[in-house]
Amino acid sequence: MIKKRSTFALIIVIMFGFGLFLIGTDGFTAYTAEQARTMKLVEEKPEFPKVTLEDSKERVYSLSEFQGKYVMLTFIYTACTDVCLLLEMNLAQVYNQIPEQYIGEDIVFMSISFDPENDDPATLEHYRNYFNSDGETWRMARIPDQQELDGLLDRFGVIVIPDNNGHFAHNAAFYLVNPEGKLVDVMDYENIDQAASKVNAILRTEVGDKS
Amino acid sequence: MKQAIYGLGIYLFLMLPPVVTLLESIMVVHMHMQMPLLVMVGMLFTPFLQQTFPAFFEKWNENGVPGIVLFMIIISYWMIPRTMDEALTVSAAEIFKFISLPFLAGVPLRDSWSKLTIKGKNSIFILLSILFGIMAWIYILSPNQICNSYLIKEQKALGWTFLLTGLCIVIYFIQTLFIDKEEYGET
Repeated sequence: MIKKRSTFALIIVIMFGFGLFLIGTDGFTAYTAEQARTMKLVEEKPEFPKVTLEDSKERVYSLSEFQGKYVMLTFIYTACTDVCLLLEMNLAQVYNQIPEQYIGEDIVFMSISFDPENDDPATLEHYRNYFNSDGETWRMARIPDQQELDGLLDRFGVIVIPDNNGHFAHNAAFYLVNPEGKLVDVMDYENIDQAASKVNAILRTEVGDKS
Repeated sequence: MKQAIYGLGIYLFLMLPPVVTLLESIMVVHMHMQMPLLVMVGMLFTPFLQQTFPAFFEKWNENGVPGIVLFMIIISYWMIPRTMDEALTVSAAEIFKFISLPFLAGVPLRDSWSKLTIKGKNSIFILLSILFGIMAWIYILSPNQICNSYLIKEQKALGWTFLLTGLCIVIYFIQTLFIDKEEYGET
């Protein structure tokens, strides 16, 4: 009888633990806050808020400039010495894997700086050359209004922590916004081929085979 | 009873908002100081709870196994990188941390430990060292930021403290195999 009760207690404890981990990791799928955040974003499909962008050619516009086109986004700051460089180099590789006929017509690339104070158009213009971005179908822009910038970062779950030495700790990913201005996918920036084939598949089904 | 009062004192102190903010601002302190202190609070409460509800502990944790499994589950849960982030961003997670670590980890640990067989204790030492080793491996070698709220630098520091803690457990475990406490008059 006593033995039975201990076994019963053990079963309850194990079931509790299983439930705790099940809920805590969204059914054993998200073990980091980053994974959880990405899953939630893809589920919610938040809309790109109204913000004013200023790009490296000093053009000022909002995202509706690209209405009817997919927009592939990254969030960066030019003084960054590690993650952003890798992020942008990988974005360049994704860019190169997209068939030419879609580029500029059905999809544009955009790197948005979250350090508007230092990343003025001239800096961005200089920075874009490192990655062979043409400034047209792959633009680099800042959001001069800090409040608008924070709103966007918050909605897209981009976490940016300034370290007070001019640098930031931040998470990185590729963000795909659909022609209606809604975020449809957040992709692992280290998995270039997977991101490229995902984008290509979306373009093929949504836009059609153009070749 | 005295222990319970000390426990309560530490518990209330740890709950003070400035203390919470300070301890959680440093990753290593969050994981290796605040959380263990909360477990310790539970351990200090244990004698009082055992006296108040003797039947409960006697009945449901007779051989110590359910209790120690519960302890392992709760501490493993708080080692998941996501739970650390959520403790900072989701208030329900923070409240759960302050309840689960003392009452679902600290209390069952102290209640179970003396009831466990030598074999049971040894398995826990081995399991804990493996778990800490894995966590050290993850936190030191991960090239990515695992916790959004902390820098990679802090993450690496946490990995090394996991390794050190793990090593201490291994050393303690090995000495228990060779040193018989009774020879030194301790029982």
